Parts: sequence; C-alpha cells; structure tokens
Amino acid sequence: MLAMDQGVVEEWLSEFKTLPDSAISTYAASLKDKGALVPALYKVIRENYSDLLEPVCHQLFEFYRSGVPQLQRFTLQFLPELLWSLLSVSAARDPHTSGCIEALLLGIYNLEIVDKDGQSKILSFTVPSLSKPSVYHEPSAIGSMALTEGALANHGQSRVVYSGPHLQRETFTAQNRFEVLTFLLLCYNAALSYMTTTSLQSLCQLSSRVCICGYPRQQMRRYKGISTRLTVTSEFLVQLITGIHYALCNGEVEVGSKALDDVLYRAQLELFPEALLVGNAIKSSLHGAALKSNNKEGTRSIQVEITPTSSRISRNAVTSLSIRGHRWKRHDAVDLGSPDELMDISEVEEGDWPVGVGSDVTPPTITISNSVTTLNLGIKAIKKCRLGGRSSKDKEAGPLTAVRAASESAELSVKRLTLTSSQSVPKGGALTSLTRTASAVFSRSFEQVNSGNGPAGNHAAPEAARYSCSLQEDGMGYLSPMPNHTQRSPSISVHLGSDL
Amino acid sequence: MTTRKSGSRLETEIERCRSEGQWDKIPELVRQLSAKLISNDDLGELLLGECKLQTYLKENPIKQGSSPRGPRPKLVEVRKHLTAALDRGNLKPDYLQEASLLMAKLCYVEAEFRDALGHYSRVNLDDMQLASAPVYRLSMIAEAYATKGLCLEKVPASSPSLSNKNTGSPSSNRSTTDREQEIITCYEKSGDIALLYLQEAEKALSAGIQNRSPKPGPTTQEQELGYFLETGLQRAHVIHFKNGNLTQGVGRFREILRAIETRTTQNLRMTIARQLAEILLRGMCEQSYWSPLEDPPSVSPLDDPTRQGHTYIKNYSLSRSPRVYSGENLFCPQENTEEALLLLLISESMANRDAVLSRIPEHNNDRIISLQSASVVYDLLTIALGRRGQYEMLSECLERAMKFAFEEFHLWYQLALSLMAAGKSARAVKVLKECIRLKPDDPTIPLLAVKLCIGPLHWLDEGEMFGKMVIDMGEKAAEFRAKGYLAIGLVYSLKATDASLRSTQEEYQRKALGAFQRAHGLSPTDHLAAFYLALQLAVSRQIPEALGYVRQALQLQGDDVHSLHLLALLLSAQKHYHDALNIIEMALSEYPENFNLLYTKVKLEAMCRGPEEALLTCKHMLQIWKSFYNLTNPSDSGRGSSLLDRAIADRRQLNAMTLPDFSDPETGSVHATSIAASRVEQALSEVASSLQSSAPKHGPMHPWMTLAQIWLHAAEVYIGMSKPAEAAACTQEAANLFPTSHNVLYMRGQIAELKGNIEEAKRWYEEALSINPTHVKTMQRLGLILHQLQRYSLSEKVLRDAVQVNSTAHDVWNSLGEVLQAQGNAAAATECFLTALELEASSPILPFTIIPRAL
Repeated sequence: MLAMDQGVVEEWLSEFKTLPDSAISTYAASLKDKGALVPALYKVIRENYSDLLEPVCHQLFEFYRSGVPQLQRFTLQFLPELLWSLLSVSAARDPHTSGCIEALLLGIYNLEIVDKDGQSKILSFTVPSLSKPSVYHEPSAIGSMALTEGALANHGQSRVVYSGPHLQRETFTAQNRFEVLTFLLLCYNAALSYMTTTSLQSLCQLSSRVCICGYPRQQMRRYKGISTRLTVTSEFLVQLITGIHYALCNGEVEVGSKALDDVLYRAQLELFPEALLVGNAIKSSLHGAALKSNNKEGTRSIQVEITPTSSRISRNAVTSLSIRGHRWKRHDAVDLGSPDELMDISEVEEGDWPVGVGSDVTPPTITISNSVTTLNLGIKAIKKCRLGGRSSKDKEAGPLTAVRAASESAELSVKRLTLTSSQSVPKGGALTSLTRTASAVFSRSFEQVNSGNGPAGNHAAPEAARYSCSLQEDGMGYLSPMPNHTQRSPSISVHLGSDL
Repeated sequence: MTTRKSGSRLETEIERCRSEGQWDKIPELVRQLSAKLISNDDLGELLLGECKLQTYLKENPIKQGSSPRGPRPKLVEVRKHLTAALDRGNLKPDYLQEASLLMAKLCYVEAEFRDALGHYSRVNLDDMQLASAPVYRLSMIAEAYATKGLCLEKVPASSPSLSNKNTGSPSSNRSTTDREQEIITCYEKSGDIALLYLQEAEKALSAGIQNRSPKPGPTTQEQELGYFLETGLQRAHVIHFKNGNLTQGVGRFREILRAIETRTTQNLRMTIARQLAEILLRGMCEQSYWSPLEDPPSVSPLDDPTRQGHTYIKNYSLSRSPRVYSGENLFCPQENTEEALLLLLISESMANRDAVLSRIPEHNNDRIISLQSASVVYDLLTIALGRRGQYEMLSECLERAMKFAFEEFHLWYQLALSLMAAGKSARAVKVLKECIRLKPDDPTIPLLAVKLCIGPLHWLDEGEMFGKMVIDMGEKAAEFRAKGYLAIGLVYSLKATDASLRSTQEEYQRKALGAFQRAHGLSPTDHLAAFYLALQLAVSRQIPEALGYVRQALQLQGDDVHSLHLLALLLSAQKHYHDALNIIEMALSEYPENFNLLYTKVKLEAMCRGPEEALLTCKHMLQIWKSFYNLTNPSDSGRGSSLLDRAIADRRQLNAMTLPDFSDPETGSVHATSIAASRVEQALSEVASSLQSSAPKHGPMHPWMTLAQIWLHAAEVYIGMSKPAEAAACTQEAANLFPTSHNVLYMRGQIAELKGNIEEAKRWYEEALSINPTHVKTMQRLGLILHQLQRYSLSEKVLRDAVQVNSTAHDVWNSLGEVLQAQGNAAAATECFLTALELEASSPILPFTIIPRAL
C-alpha cells in the first residue's frame, strides 16, 4: 500500500472524529469529492493484514450508525468487497484476520433488522390485484381473463412478508452466515441506484468468485485465489442476481454478463430452482435488448424508442380475445336458426369435414357436437362424447357452475363446441384455425400437464361441457345440472332429443 | 345520401365525418354544403383541402425516423384549397385557425419547417379553446403541437452559435435549454390533448352507435393514430430518456398510463406499461423510488449527472386534461416492485388476450410476435416476483401462459422451475418431463426431477428413470455426470431402506455403493460424493472405510453439518462416545439450532454424562425452539400476513388429521410402508419451508413436529431415569400435538412397561403398530412382552418381521435369540445372539439413516 493512500485514509479517519454533529450533513455531501479516498479504502479492505483495517471498519460502522443516508450509502458501497473478504477468509480457514469485518457486517445487520423503536423489522409489500381499481386500471376493462380462480380466491390485494423478522446475531456461524449475508445484500440492493460503478463491478466479481471457486470453471476464468468450494444458498444467489441485473442494465455489461453466467452455472450444479428461474428470466429478457456499454455517454443504458401503436397482429388471427368474440355471433345465429338447420349440421358433420382441414386435426373435437345435435344416437353418442371430451379435459372438473366460471380454458372449450356445431359461423379459415388451435393447445399441453388429475376429473369435464352445450343451444334450463361423476344414463339425452 | 340535409344536420354530419376520419365522404357533403350558401364556399375549400391532405397522408404515411423530403406534386391542390380559404378571410375565426393549422401541417409534410412555424406563431396554439371544442378539433390541436415540436427540432435555434453548441458560452447554453424545454412542452401538450381526443372520440363513437343502433352502421374500424399523434404521445419521454432524465421520463410514462384507456391506446399502454416496469426493475431501487402520486425527488441518482443542464421543468397546465383513473380506494403502489408488478399484471392480461392461438402457417409471424411480447412480460414478472419470493403466484401466472406455449421450451422450463420453487413438486415433475422432451440433452432438467423424486415426492422408480437419463448422456453430461451417479446412488440407497426383503436390500445397497463410488471417482473434489459414499458404507456397517471417506468429505468442506454428524455417529459406533460428543459439540458451535444434532447430543449425554445433562439439553432445545419459532408465531402478533396465517391454519389441521406422523427419530428418511403417513409430513414441511427460509433445511421442518419430537426425547430420557410420571407428562405434551402418532403410542407403551402394566403396554404397542406396521422398535418391545407372556411363536413372528424390516437392529436379533432359546431352538438362538453381538459392535447411538439423504 502506498504511503499516499495511507495518508488519505488516515486523514479521513481523524477528520470524522473531530467533526461536530452539526457539520455531519455537509461532511456527508462532501465525501463524493474525495477522489482518492474510495480506492484507498478498497485497498485497505483487500489487504487483509493492513493495520488500518480495524479503524476503517470501525469508522464505516460509525458512518452506518449515524443514520445519515449519504454516510450509510458510503459504507454500503464497500459491502461486496467486505463480503468477499469474509467469505474467502472463512473458506481458507484462516481464523483470526476477519474479526473486524465480521463485527462490521454483524453490526450493520443488527442495526437493519430492527426499526426505530427496537422492534423486529418486517419487510412486506402489497401484491397488487387486477380485481381492485388502481391508478393505472379499472377492473372492468381487464375482462374476465384475469379473474381466474386464483385471483378470485385472494380477492383484493394481500400484504406479503418477504423478509423478517430476523434474530439478533452476535457471531457468524456456518448456520447463520448466509442468512445474515442474504439480508445484507437485500439492504445493498435497496440502495442500488446510489452505488458507484466500482461497487457494482465489485459485486459482479464477488458473484463470479463465490460461484466458481473450486469448480472446473475457475480455470476458465483464470482466477487464482482460494480454490475451495464455498457453500451458497439459493436465496443468496437470488439476491446476487438482483444486483447483477442492475449492473448489467447500467453500464457493466461485460462483468455483469460474466457474473450472471457464473451464477447460473452454479445454480445448475446445485439444482436451485429459484436462482435458475430468475437468472433465466433476466437472460431471456435481455436477449433481445442490445445492451450498450456506453462508458462515454454516461452509465445508463435504458433506451426507449417510439413504437407503433397499432397492433402488429393481423386481425384475422385467432387470439384468446377473438375466440371470446365468437360466442356472440353464435348467439345471434341460434336466435335465428331453426331446428332444421341444426339437423342439417349433424349430417354434415357425420360425413364431410369442412374444407381445408389437414390430417393432423384430431376428429374427436367434432364428435362432441354430434352428441348435442344428434341426440337420438343415445349411448353411441355418449361414448363419442366421452372420447371427444378428452381434449377439453382441464382443471375445471366441477359442475356446470364451474364451467360457467371465469376460468378461461373452460370457456374456450365451451366456445369451441358451440362453434363446431353451428354452420352459420364456419367460414373456412376461421373454423379450421380454431379447431386446429384448440386441438393443439388442449390435447397437447393440458393433457400432459393435467393427466395426474385423477379419474374424477376425466369424467366430469366432458359431461360439464355437454351440459353447457345443450343449454346454450336452445336455452333449456330443465336439465338439472347434477354431475354425479358416475356414468350418465343415456335416457337423459334421449329426452333432450325429443325436445329438438 | 341523395336526400338534402338541413343546415345544422349537415354540419353535424360533417363534424362526425371529420371526427371519425371518413374523408371519402367529405367531397359529397361539401357539394351539398356549397349548394346552400355562397359564404360556405370558403368552408368548402377548407374541408376539401383537409380531406385531400388527410387522404394523401393515409396513402403515403410518414414513417417514424424518416423526415419529410420536400414539395409533393400531389399536394399542389391541397395548397390551392387552403390558400383560397385563408386568403378571402371570410371564414369564422375558428375555421380560420383550422385552415392555418392545416397549412402548417402541409408545410411540414413538404419540409418547409420555418413556414410551418410561422403559421403556428400566427395562430397561437395556447389560445385555442379545448373546453367546448368538437372532437376533430382536439385531434387537430394535438397534431399541431406535435408538428410544431417536430419543426422546432428541425429548425436550429435562432442563436447563431448553435452550430457549435459546446462552446460553453452561457447564453448559447441557455438558449439551447430553452429550446429543448419548448420542444418537450410541445410534445407533452400534444400527448395530453391526444389522450383527451381519443377519450372524447370513443365517447362520441359509443354514443353514436347507440343512437343509430337499428342501422348496422359502417364498420367501426379501429382508429389508427397516424404519425403526428403517435409522435406527440411518445416523443416527449423518448427525449427525456435520451437526455438521461429518468425521473421526467418515468413521470411522463405515469401520466400517460393514468389516463383512462381507450381502444386505440391499448397497444401504447401495453408497451409503456412494460417499459416502465423494465425501468422500475432495471434502473431503480427501493431507496430511489417515489410513488406515482408523489412529486419526484429534486435530486435523484437516476438522472445522468453529466447532463445536469438539461433538466426539464414542466410548467404548463391545460384548460382541459385527459380523464384519469379516479375514485375511492384506488390502489397506488408504494414500492418499485409493487408498481412493476401492477404494471406487469396489466400488461400480462393484455398480452395474454392478444396471444395468437392459431397455428396455421399464415399466422406464424403473428404468433411469434405475440409470443415474444408475452414472453417478455412473463420474464419481467419472474424477475419481480422472484425477488420477493412469491413463487406460488408466479407459478399461477406462468400457468396462464401455457395456452400459447406449445413447444416453447423457455416458458415450459420456467413453469417447471416456478412450480418447484412453489413446492408443487408433483406437477413440477410432470412439467419437467415435457421439458426433457423438448430439450433432451440438457442434464440439469432430469436432475431437477430426481431432486424432487428423492426429496418431497419419494417417487423412487421415477427418480431412477430420470437418474438413468443423465447417466445415459455419458460424456455429454460433462460436469453433471457425477451428479447423475450421485442421484441414482441416492435412489438406490433409499430403495434399500424401503426394501422389505433382505436380498433386495443388499442388492440395492451394492448398487448404491457402486454409484457413489463412480460419482466420487468422477468428481473427487465434490464433498457430497465422498459424504454419501461414507454414509452408504456406514449403513452397511463398514465403519473404518466410512470413517476414511467422511474425513475426505470434511477436508473438502470443513463445516458441512451432515459430514460432522456422520463422523460423530461413526465414532459412537466404535463406542468412542466422548469423542463423538466432542464432535457434536463442535458441530453445534457452527449449527447451534440444528435439532438433528441436538437429538444425537441428548443420546450421547445420557450415555456419557448422565441423564441430568441430557435433560438440560432438552430444555435448551425447547428454548431454541421458542426463540426460533416465536418470531413467526402468529398467535401473538396481529400482522395478518398471509404466510403466517397459513401457519395458524396448519395448527388447526393438525388436530383434525387422522394420520399425523412426524419424522421418525429412528429413520430419518421415509419408509415405504409409512408413505401415507409421511405424505402428510411432506405437505407440512413444504408449508414450513415457505414459512421460514432460515429454518434448518433438512429433517422435520414443521415447527410443531419439531416440538413434539423434543418432548418425546425428553420422555425417553425420563424413562431411562425410571421416572414414569415425568415421562408421561412429556409424552402428553407431544400427544397434544399429534395424538395418534405411533411414536407417542410407543412411548406410552414404554411408560406402561415401566409401571409394570404389561397388558396396557401391549395394547399401546399394538395400537402403534396399527398406525405404522413397520416400526421396528415397537415390534421389538412387543416381541419382548409376548415373550414374557410366553406366547413364543407369536413373539417369534413379530421379531422375525422386525428383522425383515431392519436387519441391522441388534436388540431385535437379541430378543429373537431369547425367544428361540425359550422355544428350545438352541442352534438358531446362538446364531441370532452372534449376529446381535456382531451388529452391536458396529451400532451407532442413533441409526445412520437419521441423516437426511437429498440431492
């Protein structure tokens, strides 16, 4: 360490001690201008054996305890470097040197876990809900789509604790180490906007080293420090990733992406779903955005361009929204349609398939409607129905009310049924794409996910669908919707058929 | 349209056509108009000029980023009309203004920016009335502001020193700033009025549809904004961000988003909501955040300090502004994650709605576009919710993406991970299977599945299948190959514990050992491989070899709690109880709250230092439990957090449950026959793990289970001291929590035995076995009692069953020997005694399997 650096640090140490309380805020503001100080302090922390380490740690703690935001942030900027110092020393099993760093970190931790009155601090936030009006939206405009079962279950916002309460800690143990460090990183992340580039770089470096030391990738990165593996927790990695994300988006593209890769590498090896989840999301969301390490033009790389406001999606493509629109057309058609028309349909569907349907479409989607329109088929129709209903199998396994409920997938399947059974709507393309989509989406994705739902679900879905079909076709309400999950007797459908 | 329209009706019709942009109808209307009055000719000129200009712009739209190039021959006519309208000066002042504005617009299109500015200065845009203006005029004013802004950006400021603006002279600097301020104000006003216009237009349209309902009116096609309004709405914040002025940019975003949405602004809102969420997540933190209803901080770290001179101050107010969302109890975010989440949920609902489901080739591009925009929203949602640990909500959100995620690996994988993080293990495995199908050569995915199968699910056959997938990848799996062997080793090891036939048990143990050896060979620096190898050797009672590997594991990872625990158990198996206790105490100094270590400590203390010490440790455990879980104890704090409420619900569930089994102190891992019981335990521990992330990761995690276990350990110590009353009291505490646990019943049996009530003890043991038929300790005690009652053959049967379940329980072998001896079968008895003796020599103080096995 150079004598000059030492001088700067010593001056800093003595200056603060003589400061009257009234001058603290001006002093805090002037810290920025001490250009040589921060690099010198980094050196002190890196050189573990420096005589200055102890007074420096002590003063950094005094800064933090003062409660003045600028002074607290001044201390926080060294947090990544301090963490690395602590972790590398504990990994090297070097017992004595990190004492004052440990004390500093525990001191900050113990200050931060309590509020002004000395009560345990609980960090919570409100999970917004689309079903409650906000400054940005009105629930009615969102539509039923967002009002899924889950959203309805916890109607309104709920307050959720994401950190705390925490226990006071006197020493670091293997058990509490990462709990304390994770919380410290949470504090650091809360002040990310105030951190200097050096601090962000140091955070990225810390992340890389913690994750690769002792693993084959260490050689690749050519880092020669300690070579023992450091245990980590998933929560700790998630906090690191949060900081890396900020660094990545604010000028530190190179070290940032390296650090993100290293954290993901480790998360894969440790099989941590949380860290993988967030890390993958960041990687994928930055994939398209060209990040510029525009060191010359300031550090921020957040760019916004004028985007076209009209939809880039062509109007005749089937979307979740357009599928919903189809129902209303269908209602009109029913009003006008006569029973004869309906009979015709069933004949058409028995034989020909509308033009343009590829062989990849699974026919069963159509046979559902057969069971509605050609009800006199009796048992045969029921069987077909069950066969076809398989593709509409999904979470909604309940009675009619459940189908009517806002669950979108169920709604979708119902609509498909009404569509396929009507002849007034199919105009070539629309029907084709619709059925294709429906079969693709439902038969593939939902079946595979939900096949574990048990037999009850398998039976209930087609039946419920059939009910709502018949009700929609002619508005009959007297078929009591009591889906006992056993075999439906065919007599009911015969009864229905006579009414047509 | 052939019918003559009366004057006012004609005017209304003209106004409607202008508002709805039906330019093709104007010429006909103008013809009718001029037929009525001569003075209408000027208005006719104005209208014709307007409609021709607008039609031209519709046919030749100006693209963002390109600038107009010069005079257009097609526009000559427009100029003629407008000049005619302006020159004669017969127009009403309102129409005169309109004519000037159109003229200015024409000038801009023809790249005569200075002329355009000249027209604007004559009109004085700020004086134009917004309050009672017809809808089309709002649009006109909005466009005019935008055009003015565009012109100002093109025309250099009047100051001559502008060409070299970095000279630093204060006057030029000031004029640049003033200019910039003026430009931004133009755009912001334009944007505000544009929003107002769109709201009014939509209102008029819906009113119109209602009035003309019988006629199926002209298809109310979606309005398009056009170049000028689009620029007006967006250019202001683009400039803010370009200038590094994040606070102003965010403020502008919020203003646009707070305005009540219209159909035309939906796409804009979706984009802006996403962009604002991005900024909140990427560029802000809790400390630099300010709420949408607060004033922004005067000094913010978000603004680029090098461009301090470019700060913009909003200093205008319009006589009429767009309507904003209002009402009572409006939710207003107070934190950056909250705001980001709200915005993303809004974007998600839109993205989800616009997702193209159709898979026909013609719609492929549309599908990809909609998928990408939805994908970005889901990624941002993941970032926001992941930060706050809300994996359950995240999994629900991602679930919604599944309807258009067919064959999209990224979304499937994210769903699987979110389900895993949310503790929905069974579904996670199913989704992971699909991920494997989509990306068969990624070893991480099957490994994640094994992790779930070994851990919470205990689906060993599935686990074996996934493990084999990794191994079959061979060299391709690279660093994960060792992990694959480790995984399959664990599967076999657990299968061995579950197996009821001794030969199968040994077969699996052999396979497990082989796999662990492969893992250790492939990755000699992985402490887990060495540790599990040691554990497996310990389970098959190869104590010295196990000690060797556990030392290796400890060299690689000195403070690994399980390695230390195993070392202590191995030392106890060699009957070095004091050394074992020292190791446990050392481990406890690093893991003071690890109950698993503490249980072992109680056993060892009772052995080495007498029961009083052990009781003190039990007391200490109760204190730790209290300090550890009291913080999260919901009963004494009315915070009402949902997580904490869940814990309370669990407490109620516990009493209602028929099969509450807490982790057996005898076997750390689940046994196959008690899976039904253990399912409950797993469900509870999943809740518990989400409850307290700092809770010990392994072993029984539900606080109440831990508490019950502590009481049972205390009861055991009291039984060892022959104090039935105290033991009964402790057992009662545990029974209050888990009345039908087999461990509680077993303990009651022991107390009854201690009191000399053999019949009662037998009844308790039988009850315990009816709950868990493979509880070896109960079987052994029952066997002994049956022996005492001289029911030898039944006793022999029970003990033989017990040996089948656990062939290393030396006291069972011993009891079996005694029964056989009593029956006169001396040879078999001797063999049993020898086996018991041999096993006893390598028997640890608690079974090795108390150490959890997980990936």
